Amino acid sequence: MNKIKAQNIWKNFNKLEVLKGIDLEVNEGEVVAVIGPSGGGKSTLLRCLNKLETVDRGSITIDGEVLCRETGSGAEYVNKNDVRRVACKMGMVFQQFNLFPHMTVLQNLIEAPVNVQKRDKAQAIKEAEALLAKVGLSDKRDEYPRKLSGGQQQRVAIARALAMKPSIMLFDEPTSSLDPELTGEVLKTMRELAEEKMTMVVVTHEMAFAREVATKVVFMADGHVQAQGTPSEIFDNPQNERLKAFLNVILK
Amino acid sequence: MDYVLRIIPQMMEGCVVSFQVFLITIVLSIPLGILLSLGRVSGIKPLQKLIGFYVWVLRGSPLMLQIFFVYFVLPSVGVRLPDFESAIVAFVLNYAAYFCEIFRAGIQAIPQGQYEAAHTLGMNYVQTMRRIILPQVIRIILPPISNETITLVKDTSLVYVLAMNDLMRTARNLVQRDFSITPFIVAAVFYLAATLVLTVLFERLEKHFSRYDQ
Repeated sequence: MNKIKAQNIWKNFNKLEVLKGIDLEVNEGEVVAVIGPSGGGKSTLLRCLNKLETVDRGSITIDGEVLCRETGSGAEYVNKNDVRRVACKMGMVFQQFNLFPHMTVLQNLIEAPVNVQKRDKAQAIKEAEALLAKVGLSDKRDEYPRKLSGGQQQRVAIARALAMKPSIMLFDEPTSSLDPELTGEVLKTMRELAEEKMTMVVVTHEMAFAREVATKVVFMADGHVQAQGTPSEIFDNPQNERLKAFLNVILK
Repeated sequence: MDYVLRIIPQMMEGCVVSFQVFLITIVLSIPLGILLSLGRVSGIKPLQKLIGFYVWVLRGSPLMLQIFFVYFVLPSVGVRLPDFESAIVAFVLNYAAYFCEIFRAGIQAIPQGQYEAAHTLGMNYVQTMRRIILPQVIRIILPPISNETITLVKDTSLVYVLAMNDLMRTARNLVQRDFSITPFIVAAVFYLAATLVLTVLFERLEKHFSRYDQ
């Protein structure tokens, strides 16, 4: 079954068409890397999946549940509560981390499980500690985010998303605001998630990551999916002219 | 010195009046200001315009005029309030306008990413505001709130115009009765003591709420 099925997604910002009829399907356990030039609509597509952006037209189904349907004139969303419920099936990791600065690392992790999902607090703390151990930050449990490096903050953000027990993880350029020497630790965490068969959609400029970890690569430019396929189809044997030009510039 | 001790009880009575005006105004105008600011950033255009107009009128005219308005003009449309209540109404409406703007600026200073993170964690509007946005807003707004609060201490002396026996009027009465300016000096000391307490209190609060930022 498709974990994510988005069809005919259109989105414009002030008349500028950013997405022009995108289709995206993600199956369980797949790691989809979305690559392409800046301004090509990659992040916008990702943000449409959990309604951080509202689509103008198209349909989105997440894990078998409808988020919005295509109608004659555009798109019709399900009601607010259902949107929230569907949206938090997906954990999201942002370029700017977006940790809550007034909460400690642990509080960041348990905030939503306890107050949104109404899970038992002691249990949530236990699980949060296990997640911190997993991303290698057990010793930062009681620190405030400001005290952490960018790479550490991003790993906390990943743990915070995982604390919700999502069935899909979305990554919006997770390493783009990190110093080069810090990207490695974040990519390593993501790699481990992929090995655990987490379904992931990763918007990224890290071509090595896309090539080695992704099971499918989607190349977007000018608001269209120009090409998609296995990493070797995309990187070793590109057919699309736009893709060839992109790879020429980026892999030089 | 003897004289000072003799007038202290009377001055204290004046202090109580001033303090009541101060406390009631703070307790009522801050929540009202928060509500107004939420309306101001709600994205509902007519509501935003209306609150913008309210803020303009209340900040744009003298507080003393507003006190007169409540006390002398409202009775002509059938709303007749005693002096203390009139003063409170004017103070609360006026200070809520200032607090509204302080909170609005504070809320708008929070990066969009905080709302987005809250959204992806399934939080609704109330949870997002209460747990994520407002606690961060507090740190930002404490300095301007401190400012307004100290201004309010001194503005309470405006109730003088409704012939209420606050600290200011008590002092003036004593000056006229005893032909001594000492009551003015005592009053000044009282006001300064009050603002000193507030200054220290707000310094502590700032420290507390910025602990995550050190």
